[in-house]
Amino acid sequence: MNCHYACGTAAHLSRRSFLQGATTGALGMLGFSGMVQASAAQKLASQQKQVVVFFLKGGVSQLETWDPKPGTDTGGPFQKISTSAPGVEICELLPHTARQMQHLALVRGINTKENDHGKGAYIMQTGYRQQPGFEYPYLGSAFSRQLNPPDSPLPGYICLGAGARAQEAAFLGPKYAPLALPEEGAPQNLARPASLTEQHDMQRRLLRQRIGQRFAPGRRDSDLEAYNSSYEQAARLMARSDVFDFSKMPAKDEERYGKHSFARNCRVALRLLENGVTFIKVSHTNYDTHSENFNFHIEQLGEFDRPFATFMADLHERGMLQHTLVIVMSEFGRTPNINSKLGRDHWGTAWSIALGGCGIKGGAVVGKTNEKGTQVIDREVNGGHLFHTYYHAVGLDSSKSFYDKGRPVAKADPKTDALQEILV
Amino acid sequence: MWQRPSDPLGVCWRSMVALTFLAAFTGSKSVQAAPPLHESIDRLIAAGTPDYATLAAPLASDAEFLRRVTLDLTGTIPTAAEAREFLASSDPEKRTQLVDRLLASPEWPRRMQQVCDVLLMERLPQKHVPVADWQKYLHDSFAANKPWDQLVREILSADGSDPATRGAARFYLDRDGEVHQLTRDIGRLFLGVDLECAQCHNHPQVDDYKQSHYYGLAAYLIRGTLFNTPDKKLTIYAEKADGEVTYESVFDLRDKISKGPQTTLPVLFDGQVAAEPKFKKGEEYTVKPDKKVRGIPNYSRRSLLGDAITGPDNVRFRRASANRWWALLMGRGLIDPLDRDHGDNPPSHPELLEILASDLFQRKYDLRGYLREIVLSQTYQRGSFRPADAPPVEPESFAQATIRPLAPEQFAWALLQGTGMLDAERLAQKDKPDLAAIVKKYRGVENRFISLFGNEPGRPEPGFDARTDQALFLANDPLLLSWLQPRTGNLADRLTKIPADNPQAVADELYLATLTRFPNSDEGAEIREYLATRTADRLPALQELIWALVTSAEFRFNH
Repeated sequence: MNCHYACGTAAHLSRRSFLQGATTGALGMLGFSGMVQASAAQKLASQQKQVVVFFLKGGVSQLETWDPKPGTDTGGPFQKISTSAPGVEICELLPHTARQMQHLALVRGINTKENDHGKGAYIMQTGYRQQPGFEYPYLGSAFSRQLNPPDSPLPGYICLGAGARAQEAAFLGPKYAPLALPEEGAPQNLARPASLTEQHDMQRRLLRQRIGQRFAPGRRDSDLEAYNSSYEQAARLMARSDVFDFSKMPAKDEERYGKHSFARNCRVALRLLENGVTFIKVSHTNYDTHSENFNFHIEQLGEFDRPFATFMADLHERGMLQHTLVIVMSEFGRTPNINSKLGRDHWGTAWSIALGGCGIKGGAVVGKTNEKGTQVIDREVNGGHLFHTYYHAVGLDSSKSFYDKGRPVAKADPKTDALQEILV
Repeated sequence: MWQRPSDPLGVCWRSMVALTFLAAFTGSKSVQAAPPLHESIDRLIAAGTPDYATLAAPLASDAEFLRRVTLDLTGTIPTAAEAREFLASSDPEKRTQLVDRLLASPEWPRRMQQVCDVLLMERLPQKHVPVADWQKYLHDSFAANKPWDQLVREILSADGSDPATRGAARFYLDRDGEVHQLTRDIGRLFLGVDLECAQCHNHPQVDDYKQSHYYGLAAYLIRGTLFNTPDKKLTIYAEKADGEVTYESVFDLRDKISKGPQTTLPVLFDGQVAAEPKFKKGEEYTVKPDKKVRGIPNYSRRSLLGDAITGPDNVRFRRASANRWWALLMGRGLIDPLDRDHGDNPPSHPELLEILASDLFQRKYDLRGYLREIVLSQTYQRGSFRPADAPPVEPESFAQATIRPLAPEQFAWALLQGTGMLDAERLAQKDKPDLAAIVKKYRGVENRFISLFGNEPGRPEPGFDARTDQALFLANDPLLLSWLQPRTGNLADRLTKIPADNPQAVADELYLATLTRFPNSDEGAEIREYLATRTADRLPALQELIWALVTSAEFRFNH
């Protein structure tokens, strides 16, 4: 499956617009092209493949979400409920999400064999087990590199809620590192100082660039390039600061989504998608329920359910779900065994994720665990399979490689393949 | 040798001649027949690459050398006045004189404190020992030119119980005395070996790193335990009288060939294992441990570690140290990466590493003297510029200076100097120079730079990171912009006092203060043109010029 852009390729469209923008000459070189390209970016946004990852930090329980086992000694107190997808049942803690299941597929046979938070999160976000001395790029950075139009004024990868690290880009370079948005707001220092006119700001930047251009030749160095490109990115971002003005989000949405910070981040994510941001990670935390697993899941999923479901419904209503892949993941699941503190512990052996939208067959289920959820009994998969599936869903070839200093690095583990069962 | 076309920085061939002359001069004064270290460096670096003479970049200009060595030895850039004086001097010994002045300056121990802080603690957050105590310990050590081996021994023997060495105990205590983290870090930092993979099995890629090596080192530390004083005010790194390491290869377990768990006494690599004294039951402790009392064993394994690491029998320490301090100045180790010293990863210049290591050992780990020799070498003083038509050189040839991003602390202090804020501070102090007061005043600034430009805690030596939020900070944050406001003695103030009909003087002062060199004619013209259109708002125009220079790539990197 290939991406279908109006004009053939993303690069084509944006390069053509760039040339139009270049009538302003140096503006474009400095990254101010964003200003003249705003409409092109919006047009592109309707074609471009986009991705949202909801990362439930700490390890959400599969038994209290996508793979309930009521009536067994591992099942816990909650019942399962039917959903808008025929034959698919999920936990009663997700009543709103249940009404969106026609858009979501479930993968119920994940075995990552990893019970450590950091290492589990690494597998789920890179598709590989951690290796000493080598860093794989995270999904957000990898997709930012492959899906973000090269001249987009906006960063390709934005994180909402905690959990963005510059190192996620690994060898792909800082250009593809996540931009973390601070709680409730725009990136810091986005506004030009009041003492500077726009014209003088541009003049000083042009001068900065010229000084650098005299220095760089004869000192070929990727660090120099990265440093200079960070200013261009900054200027492009400033030119589109309207995207980060969240004060104008409709007030009625607050009623529909909720007022807490996760609900707000869902609304911010929707707005960023509408403005053409390629990849967004929304983190929701506090799922590490070694004690009081059931009370904590009532609380956390109570916070998650409605805004997430509203987000899915809004994406669908706006026609955006066709080109937006949505993934709900965690670093691992939780033990079927209920411990003495009514908690569940770390569990990478048999757990689930949900995904939907672009390229995904809504209502499909792949993989199966046994009666008590202690083992995968059908279609066992790991992080590699999931990565192939994400790539296929957005129309990218997962059999290709990145190159790190000439050394090929497979985009997804070649020992695994995509879950065709849930792909359109 | 290829011709260098119009390099804006210019080359000073004269200084190369001067240096050669000087080397011969100081060499003749030496008591031993052996040539001074910097000559051996140049000889062996040249011998390490065929056609070195044609490949090597010419020596750096006086301006480039001044900036580079000042950043390396003091952590900031020279003042405009220092640049003028140095560039004007025709003294053939001026480079050596400069180096000796910098090494005697109060900025030298401060710079070494910063370097060692990051090196040894890797920006780990404060836990049990105030960072200020640790930094003071480092600062005082370098101010007294404490030998490097002594500093390492002190760090490896401090347990935090003695207020006088509490700062040094941060190495153990703020790692929570965790045996695996300490084993790995001590191996990397002081032995030049990353044994992490050998924790669970013999290293799969490095034949030289065995699981027994990992546990031989861990055995020194396995008995460590954190003790909280009854008043809960202090945490001390106490030691028990018992506790052994046990290990079993997970590969052997998997292949079902394991002979069961093994143990080892403390030992570095394949060295001699010393027998341990035995004590009768009940007599293992000098001070018996109790909930309220820190136990002191009769026999302390950990007390042996410092001597084992830094003692004459352990060649790894001097190799790792010589290599690491070389890399600080050269941007790359002779062994690269710094913590992969093993048979399958030989040094780029084996004989040179031998000489560096034995020199450091023979000069009793006098780091100041050792680093002085490196910066006096022509190898250190090569230019970083290379024309497009020149043949490429490999970084391990050291035939050309590397481009090194400024550390967050260096960047903060270079910006404070470049904008003239430090000039203003010194002017305000009049005749009583007090670096400590300035350091204290700008500690918050330094910390902001560290949090924005620094690496994540506990992640050693990652590559350069240039992010959008950093560029936004430099472009728009009020902090840097506030340094561009005129304040008596700072750069903006000095520039506004230069008559408007003398734009060349403005251009000179701008370039000398920020980039440590005179502008070339194009650059001078560029500034004249910039100012010509801004007669009505000259101050903002001057501020924009300063900003463009201090945010330029030429400023951001040491080159």
